[in-house]
Formats: sequence, structure tokens, C-alpha cells
Amino acid sequence: MNNLFVTKSENNLYKKYLKDGYIIADIKNIKSLDWIKQFYLSFIKDYFKKDFSTKDLLNNFHKLIKIKDLNSFRLKLIQEINKDKNFRKNYFNVASIFLYEIVGNELAMQNRVNLSIQLPGDKSSLLDVHADTWSGDSPFESVVWLPLVDCFKTKSMFILPALKYKKFIKLLQSSKFRNSADLFPKIKNDVKWLKINYGQILIFNQCLPHGNLVNKEKETRWSMNCRFKSIFTPYGDKKLGEFFEPISLKAASKFAMNYKLPKIK
Amino acid sequence: MGERVPQSVQNLVIRDYCSRNNISYLLSATEYAMKNSSKVLFKIINEKNKERVILYSLFQLPSNSNLRDKFYKIVIKNKKKIYFALENKSLNNKDDIEIIRDIWNIKDVLPNCLKKF
Repeated sequence: MNNLFVTKSENNLYKKYLKDGYIIADIKNIKSLDWIKQFYLSFIKDYFKKDFSTKDLLNNFHKLIKIKDLNSFRLKLIQEINKDKNFRKNYFNVASIFLYEIVGNELAMQNRVNLSIQLPGDKSSLLDVHADTWSGDSPFESVVWLPLVDCFKTKSMFILPALKYKKFIKLLQSSKFRNSADLFPKIKNDVKWLKINYGQILIFNQCLPHGNLVNKEKETRWSMNCRFKSIFTPYGDKKLGEFFEPISLKAASKFAMNYKLPKIK
Repeated sequence: MGERVPQSVQNLVIRDYCSRNNISYLLSATEYAMKNSSKVLFKIINEKNKERVILYSLFQLPSNSNLRDKFYKIVIKNKKKIYFALENKSLNNKDDIEIIRDIWNIKDVLPNCLKKF
């Protein structure tokens, strides 16, 4: 259905998000994307106290760090990115035009940006098939997934396209599985591995099953994720305040929230 | 907040917040259990020797908006810095107050919005 009240580009995103469960788009705000990447490169140089050449530093990060040291590095880095107020601002700037079209214009943003670093062969950073809603997220949330390197095949993530979701629900109801790891083999022919390059952004429906496997490519994956929702939609276990912050409340709502009908005699 | 988090867990969250933000944890205080009480909170923000106060959550502020406005006024007047550990937010100027106000207002309006999914 074409909605006459929205632009052609918005209609295309709308249809694609509903049909596939995600959109991949070219980022328009390159300045903010560069700011984010530079933040990481500076952190790595400071952490290792070495002035590396930045060319392919992220892709080749597995040559710098051992798997056993990865988690402490990652935690320190996550702490830094969430300490810097400009980080979330730039993250939002990169995604805003697409979020306005897919989610809404009065938005709540997750308080913390998450980071995933997947070294080749690392089995410690895996996410079995899951939907975020299964662990308490509201179905009104969308995930903005932002790669710092080109992601493809097992260096990327997979998602079950929306068109296959009904089939998946039937499968859940009809077949037994012992644990979450048993799910992937049952849907591996239906999932789509997303090819997304640096300079592009992925916004996906986290109600759809998704996850990753061991990165079997020769490069390290760096990606971030952060959830957005419309402010006045239902919250799941992830509440306003502790998990989400309103970031684009509009003047009319701000006024209306305090409005009281005048008392008359 | 509509739900109760055990005090031991609240203290853990506050201690963790202090440790992550290099803040020395000195004394803890517990609000009276009587409904809608903010007596302890108002006593603390009026004390001269306590510059920084950490609350477990910003939803521990008075549920009455007039009382919250009074709280903000005293915080600014007495040059206090208030931290909310769970939400990782702080309050010591008018911009901070606006953010806290928005969050509270939205929380108050949400019961009138779509609730279930």
C-alpha cells in the first residue's frame, strides 16, 4: 500500500522493513561516522601506547590482541564510549534520518551503546539465535547496528527475514529443542547473512530471530548496536530512565504533558 | 516507582556507581517507609556538609510534581550535586532539571498510552 502522505523514499523503507525485517542504507552524515571511527582509533593507540598506522587497523585487530585479553579491552572501551556524551549524539546523528522514517520522530534512545568485537575463530563472543523481545525488550524497539568495518558472511550477523517468521513460529510449536544452540540448524537455510559495508547502517526489527556464529573470515568484526523506540509506546523490561532516555521530545508533547483543563465556576 | 528493590541491591548499585565514577562512598541514609515520605531526602539536601548525594533511582524523588519542583529549587540554591545511580544521570543545573522533568512527565503520561503488546 502506498501512503500518499509520505515521500517515495519513506514508502520504500517502510515496505522493506516490513517485508525483510531490516533496512541497510548509505549513511549521509559522514562527519559523525568519522568522529566515531576516530574515537576508536585514538582509544586503541592510547591503550597499547603505540602509534599504529590506522590503515586496516580494525580489520587486523586480532593480530594485536589475544582472545583471552579481548573482554577486558572491550569492557574498558565500552566504558569510555559511554562516558563521552558526544558519542551517543554522533551515533544518533548517523541514524536519525532513517529512524525518523521507520520508528518516529519523538524518540527514546538506549542509555548505552553496545560494542561487539569478533576476532576470527573466537568462540567467546557468540550470540545464539534469539529475538530481543524474548529477553524483555519491547516489540516497539528497533536496533541500529553500525559496523566500523565491512561485514560479510560469518563476519556479519544473520537474521530471519520477516517473510519466514510464520514458518519459524510453526517450527517452534511443532519441534522440540534442548537449548538455544539447537535452534540455528533448524533455520539455517532460511536466515539471511547481512552484507553491510563501513559507511552503511543497518536498522532491524529485533523481534525477528537473529544472531551470529564463529567468525570464520580472516578479519575482525567491529560493530555497535543501540536500541531506539518511540517515546510514547509500551516499554518492556527495559524501562524509561534506567535503560532508555527521551532524546527528541517535541514542544507540543512537552506542553501537553503539563496541561490541565482550567477550572470553571 | 511502583516496585520495591531490596535495600541491599540498591546499595550495590550505588557502590558500583561510586566506584565507576571515582566517588567516595561515605554514608548511607534510608527514607522513611511511610507512604509518600521525602522527609529524609529534604533533610539531606538542606545539610551544609553534604555536597554530593547519590540516589538509587530518579524515581525515588517525590511523586508529587510540586514537591519535586521544591526539591530542584533547593538543590540549585544549596549548590548540591545529585546523582541517580540506576539511570546514570546527575542533576546540578537547570538543563539537568529539564531532562529529569521530561522523564518524570513521560512516566506519568505512559499509563494513558498504549500499554500492552
